[in-house]
This record gives sequence, structure tokens and C-alpha cells, in this order.
Amino acid sequence: MRWLALLIVLVLAGCGTPGGSSGDNAKKAQQQEQSSKKIDVAKAGKVTLTVWDQEVRGGQRRQISELNAEFMRRYPNVTIKRVAKSFTDLNTTLKLAVSGDKAPDVVQANQGRPTMGQLVKGGLLRPLDAYEKAYGWADRYPKVLLDLNRFSTDAKTFGSGDLFGISQMGEIVGLFYNRTLVPDPPKTFADLEAALAAAKQKGQVPITFGNLDKWPGIHEFQAVQNRYADPSQVRDFVFAKQGASFDTPENQQAAAKLQEWAKKGYFTPNFNGVGYDPAWAKFGKGAGPFLIGGTWLLRDLTDALGSNLGFMLVPPADAGAPPRALGGESLPFAITSKSKNPDVAAAYIDFLTDPNAAKVLVQTGNLPAMPTDAKPTEPAGVQVFDAWKALGEGDGLVPYLDYSTPDFYDQITAAVQKLMAGREPAKAFTSGLQGDYEKFTGSL
Amino acid sequence: MTRSPGEPRRVAYLYLLPGFALFATFVLAPLMHAAWLSLFQWDGITPGTWVGLDNYKAVVSEADLRRAFGHSAVLLAFYAALPIAIGLLLAGAASRARIRGLTALRTVLFLPQVIALAVVAVTWRLIYQPTGWLGNFDLALPAVGLVGTWVAYGLTFVLFMAGVQKVPQSLYDAARVDGAGALREFFAVTLPALRGEIAVALTLTTIAALRNFDLVYLTTSGGPGDATTVPAFEVYQRAFRGGEVGGAAAIGVCLAAVIFVLTVGINRVADRAART
Amino acid sequence: MIDRREQVLAHVVLGLFALIALAPVAKIVVTALGEPGSFSTAWSDGHFGTYLRSSVLVAVAVVAISSVLSILAGYAFGLMRFRGDQLLFYVLLLGLMVPLEATIVPLYYDLRDLGLTDTYWALILPQAGVSVAFGTFWMRAFFRSVPRSLVEAARLDGASSWSTLWRVIFPLARPAVLTMVVLVFMWTWNEFLLALVMVSDEGLRTAPLGLAFFQGRNTTDEALLAAGALIVATPVVLVYLFLQRHFIRGMLSGAVKA
Repeated sequence: MRWLALLIVLVLAGCGTPGGSSGDNAKKAQQQEQSSKKIDVAKAGKVTLTVWDQEVRGGQRRQISELNAEFMRRYPNVTIKRVAKSFTDLNTTLKLAVSGDKAPDVVQANQGRPTMGQLVKGGLLRPLDAYEKAYGWADRYPKVLLDLNRFSTDAKTFGSGDLFGISQMGEIVGLFYNRTLVPDPPKTFADLEAALAAAKQKGQVPITFGNLDKWPGIHEFQAVQNRYADPSQVRDFVFAKQGASFDTPENQQAAAKLQEWAKKGYFTPNFNGVGYDPAWAKFGKGAGPFLIGGTWLLRDLTDALGSNLGFMLVPPADAGAPPRALGGESLPFAITSKSKNPDVAAAYIDFLTDPNAAKVLVQTGNLPAMPTDAKPTEPAGVQVFDAWKALGEGDGLVPYLDYSTPDFYDQITAAVQKLMAGREPAKAFTSGLQGDYEKFTGSL
Repeated sequence: MTRSPGEPRRVAYLYLLPGFALFATFVLAPLMHAAWLSLFQWDGITPGTWVGLDNYKAVVSEADLRRAFGHSAVLLAFYAALPIAIGLLLAGAASRARIRGLTALRTVLFLPQVIALAVVAVTWRLIYQPTGWLGNFDLALPAVGLVGTWVAYGLTFVLFMAGVQKVPQSLYDAARVDGAGALREFFAVTLPALRGEIAVALTLTTIAALRNFDLVYLTTSGGPGDATTVPAFEVYQRAFRGGEVGGAAAIGVCLAAVIFVLTVGINRVADRAART
Repeated sequence: MIDRREQVLAHVVLGLFALIALAPVAKIVVTALGEPGSFSTAWSDGHFGTYLRSSVLVAVAVVAISSVLSILAGYAFGLMRFRGDQLLFYVLLLGLMVPLEATIVPLYYDLRDLGLTDTYWALILPQAGVSVAFGTFWMRAFFRSVPRSLVEAARLDGASSWSTLWRVIFPLARPAVLTMVVLVFMWTWNEFLLALVMVSDEGLRTAPLGLAFFQGRNTTDEALLAAGALIVATPVVLVYLFLQRHFIRGMLSGAVKA
């Protein structure tokens, strides 16, 4: 009996307050910056870079395979060990992997507070400003795109501070349409609604949609939100600027409109049980006129619909209004703090985003975030490029709402599911999310 | 110098030591450590803060957690009650009629128990895909529950068959002589004889109902919304995705406590019933 | 005499539930076969060869370690008297009821501090610990059923406890040991949560975990996913079909003796 008590005491004594030394993130970041160098990869000796990414869909899969192969051809001393996962699986497993002993060198860490913010807070990502200067990335991207990947070292400020990743591709969430079913693309939001009603009458699925994976709902909501809310309003909220709120009349109108569309049956029946990929596959087989989707689907949809594929931004309230759309850039490539080859890793991500890479991206059916002379050949691809240019010039890109707080991804995806299922009125939707948001901003 | 068997021997401790050391290190110590962690609020990276029993209070006060435990209670009906009923039905049928190929039947019915839950989840997700039930707010939990039923009724059947085969034929003959039909024979002879087996089945299926991380993670991830969250999934979610390690540990400890209480309770009731 | 109607009804009911048990399995097989080459693509693209190898390695290690330790500990519980045997047995019983969900969180952080996460040890040691609890319980029941006369005879011949165990009793233990081996193998092979948390390195992934990520990447190609699922399930199912007597007997008697 006595030794049992002794055992218990020993075990408890071994537990102190959990959690390692808090470590000064700012100091560590400084040290990391000072040791960052631009190097010649060929002289780096035998190196294996472990890279975690989610480039698994058509166009992305092709570009990363091509670029990885080219990098290894150019530098035979480097082996790239690639671990590819779906977007959801990557987000779920990233924190555990990056904080472990055998952390990967390069990871795609989603922008925003849920993923990148948490990793920065734990000091798990390496700041890249020294590399930014050495490789000249500031000339490669417009400021707004670089800012999306910035955090203060304590992760309290999002949208400015140190740079923690760079992205390959631009992203727009817009309206893909089937030219055979939509000979005359709608120019205003009201025209779009009329087209949806007409499609429903004809027995088509107006907007093909699958929300089993939960996150596509964010796109549906923000697509409608842009008709009512100003980009600056949404940006202030996402970056937690003073006084920003989610519980606004514009957001309530957007929520009500989305719910109305769901009730009118404008979306795929039983959409909460349909996966994201099966959904766009259905659209590719001609299920209906429209699909709210991201430009990452361009390659796969072009393979399905060929020249019958069209792309447009969700039309504004008034014809001729400045363009605005949900979007930004693809998941940035970041370097982990525990990487033993940060300089080679930096050269690798520079390679993935240089002008040559931009050409490869276009050839494989993707939209590069960097300006390039290469041009796509298919009509839908040209439309995507034109939209990207217009959004850049008009500063019309609206960031994803799930960036806003560490838990917002979980909260807004669940809330949109409830909203579209008709289980929550618009007012409860906006005030509920505002409450969650305030819990976080109160702690900043 | 030889000792007669049965006298206390010190060498027994040597035989026990390696196994017990492994068990203590990787089962008992972590359990106590979990209890310790549950008293803190910790994000897993920076130092944690002491919060005493707050995490346990949250289990009752937070609506999300109450809902998760509530879903577990619902799943108990699908994972335990339904398979037991089906198992009794099948065992009753198999024992009363003359069935050829009982071994083959047992092999087939027991098969779902043997397949990895990950495979079961992937399979059933494919099956449910065209119905869309897994995305329906009201149907998702029963849909998940039915998978649990499918997995378990082979186990209960096999358990009850073994129990039934121990019942002396004379009892059945006596009942038939009295003119008892199938139903009466079942309630008068079979069911009372199976009390022990029912307790075992209840124990095993209850534990399975409370431990169903694999199934939820791979079919619905707790969705749609939060319609299928369960405590096991919340442990994973909060510890490794959310940064609430202390809270997750508290939920885990609660799960262990619930399993313990239910197991002891079930077997107490069975013992008492057996004695009457 | 039961009448023909009941006979038919019983057969129908049993047949129906047998069909329900088989139907999903059949669906997976049919789906996988629907696309030629799905198995080879799953194998190469899905890296299932690597995953199966990891699963075998872990399962064999866990079975080996826990079997030996369980036989030793069960021997002590079953055939020796010592102070604290009641208490220790209850502790063991308690441990059997502890779900992995309760210990996974501290296990992760402790093993990480020891640098063991992302190694096979992180999968082997905890599962061996849990299996030893079950195995000890199981072997104790067997040892208690060994006729005393046998042990006494060996003792009178001057045999030590060690040689009594391995030369005299063990040959009788083969069926019990086989059942334990088969059950521990199945539970270890099918373990998912532990692998999900402990292992991030792709080369160490066990089969069920590999299948989970494969599902995430293959939401459109059902045949490929079905092929992967079959690859993961087959080894245990094969072992089951050959040794199903032991499987079933194991779950029954072990459970009842609890």
C-alpha cells in the first residue's frame, strides 16, 4: 500500500505546470532573421527537404509535380520528400507535425488566425523578412498579397508585421457558368437572381453546391455578402480593426438572402450531405448553369466542360460598379522553425514563385499571384486572368472570413450550415458570430 | 528447498514486474497525468494556468459539451440497446429452429466486428453518399448510430448463442410439454438464462458507444453543424486542433469515469438479478 | 415439435441479418472492382505498401511483447499466492476499462518530451501496455484452470517455477495463447486514434490512418477509395477467416469471465 502512494507521489512530482518555457518569440525571430542567408543550393551538399502541401487537385497537382521535378533536376543534391494531403487533413494535422521533433521543413500554412496565427504564436514558423529582402519578393507581389501572410511575432496583429509565407497562386471565388445553359451572363445581381429562378423552372440545379466538408459554405455566404457589404468593411473585420463588427445590417441582409435562396431550392438538394469535389464533378457533367467556386478548380472544370466553361465575378448590385470578389492567394509556403535547412528551403520557395514558376502555373491551368506575360489559351482561363487583373487594379479582393479568429473557421462553417438549413434566422447568425468574435478580440 | 504450491511466493513479483511496469507506465501514469492536466488551462505550447475544477464545471455548463454527452446517450440506444435486441432475436431464432451451417452463420454475422472501424467508416460514408443523410441535421446522428448497430449485432448474437447452448435441453422440453409457444419459451427459459451474457453484452457495447472517435471523425467530423459531436471527438478537437489541452483532458477523464460507473452499475444489477 | 412455419421464419430472419452484415462488404468489393487497375493504383499512389508494412511491424511487436509479458504475469496471478494479489488484480481490471481517449492527451505530450513521437515506439509501447492488461487477465483465467496436480507433480520433481511454466504448462496453453495473439493482433491493427495523434511522418503511417488520408484526397474516385479500404481490411479478415474459432471463442470467454 505504501509503495502505491509513493508511486502516485512520484508521478505527480514529475508533473509541473504544463507547457515549456514561454520563450521570447520576438527575440527568437530576431535570431532567425540574422541567420538567414541567400545561398547557392548546388553548394549545400546532400539535403532532403520535407514539404507538406495540399496541392492535390488537377491543376495544382500538375504544377507542383512539374516544379518539384525541375528543382530536383537543377539541384541533384536535393531530394524533395513531398507529403500531400487534402486541405482539411492538412489543417487538422499541421500543428502536431510542426511542433514535433521531426517537423517538416516547408509547410503550406493557411493564412489567418486559425492556422498561421496559431503557429506563429507558438514560435513554430520562421520569419522570412531577411529572405524577402535577399530574393526581392516585394517586387514580385503587390503589398496587399504579402500583407495577408504577415503577423506580429506574438500573433496579436494580423495583416502587418513579419512575413511568414509566400503564395504561388492567386485565388478568386467567383461564378463558373456553363455556356450552353447561360448564353448571356447576368450583369447585375438582380439578373443573376432571375437566371436562378428560370433555371429552377426548367428543372436544373441553379447553383451546384456540396457542403459536407463544411468550408464551401463560407464561399456561398461571402459571394452573397459582397453584394451588400463594402470590401473595406469586411477587411476591417477580418483584420480585427478597432470598431469592426459582424453584426451589421449588410451582413444580415446577406444572410437572409442566402437563406432565401436555399429555401427556394436554388442549391443542390441535400447539399449538406454532398462533398465539395463530387459537387463540382456534377457541375462538370452539366447539372446546372452555375457553380460558386474557386479558380483552383479551373483545370479540372476545363477538362470537364472545355470551351463551354465560363467564369465571371458574382455580379454587383449595379451594372458597371467596381469589381469585388472573395479571394486572395493560395496557401502560402512557410518554413518551420525546427527546419535544419532553412536557407535551402527559402531557395525552394523562391523557386516555386519565380517568373519561371509563373509560366508553369499558367501552362498547367492555374492563376499565378505574380504578374506574368504567359497567357492561358482557353476562354475560361482568359476570363479568370482578366478578372484577377481588374480586381487587382480596383482593389476589390475581399479576404476569407475564417481568417478572423483562431476558432472562426469552426464557428462560421457550423453557423452557415445551420443558416442554410433554415435552422437559424439571419439575426441570430450575425449576432452569434459577433459574440464569438468579441470573445477573441477582447483577449487581444 | 521446495515449497508446496499455494504458499505465498516472492518470486511472483518478478513475474509480474515487466508486464505491470509497462501497464503502469503507459496506462495508469497517463491516466493520473490526465487528471493533473485537467486542472489547468493550457494551449499545449506556452505555459498553462491553474484553473482547478473549472474544466469539469464546463462539462456541465457549456452547451457544446452537454450536447456531446447527450449525443452519446442517444448513441447508446443504437450501439447497445438495438444490437442486444437483435442479438436476442437471432439467438432465439437460431436456438429454436434447427439451423444447418451454424458455424458459417456465426462467421458471417461476426465479420463486421473484425473490420477496422476506419474501413467501416469509409464504407458507410460511400453507402450514405447518395442519401445525403450524413449531411442532414436531424438524420446524421441516427445514421451514425445505425453503423454502430451494424457493427455490434454480430457480437451480441455470438455471445447469446454461446449462452443459449449452455441451457439444458430439459428446460426447453419441459416448456414445450407445457404447450409454450416460441414467445413464451423465449421469455420463460431463454431470457433468464442469458442474464450474465446480457450484462457482458451491455458492458462491451456501452464502452464501444462511448469510445466512437474513429467513426465520427471519418464520417461526419461532428457535423453537420454540431449535430454529431461526441465526447471522444471533442477530446481530439480541443486538445490537438483547438489548443484547450486541459479541457480535453477533463473530458477524457469524465469519459473514463462514465465508463467505470456504467460498467460497475451494469454488473451490480446483473449480480443482484442472478441472486433472486 | 416446432412447425414448419417457424422453421422457415427463423431461417428468413437469420438470413436477412446475415445479408445485412455482408451487404456493405459486398458493396465495397464491387465498387473497387468497378474500375480496372484500382488496386494497383491505390497501392502505388496511395502508398499502401508502406502503410501495411508499418502496421505489420507495429502489430507484431505489440503481440510479441505483450504476449510474453502477459504469460508471465498471468502465471503469477493464476498459480501463485502473494501479498497484494487481490489489489493488483483490481488495478488491472480498472486499467482494462480506461479508454484511450482518456490517456491520449498526456501520452502525446509525454512521449513528445521524450522524443518518441513520430517513431514506432509511440505506437508500440502504449498498445503493448493496454494489451498486457487484457493478456494478463486472459492468461490468468487459463492458468487458474490448470489442474493443480500437474503443478504439484512438477514441483515435487524439483522443477523451478520457470521451467514449470515453460516445460510443463505452456504446451497446454497453446489454444489460449493463440486466441490472445489473434485478438491483440486485430485490435492493434485496427487502432486509429493513437496513430493519428502520434505519427505525422508519412513513412510511419499505419494502414487505417493511411486510409483516412486517402479518403481526404479521393473524394471523387470511389473505386480507388474502395480498393484502399479493402487493402486495409483484408489482412485481419484473412486471419479471422482462418482462425475464426479462436477469435470468437476469445471474445466470448474473455468477456464472460469479466
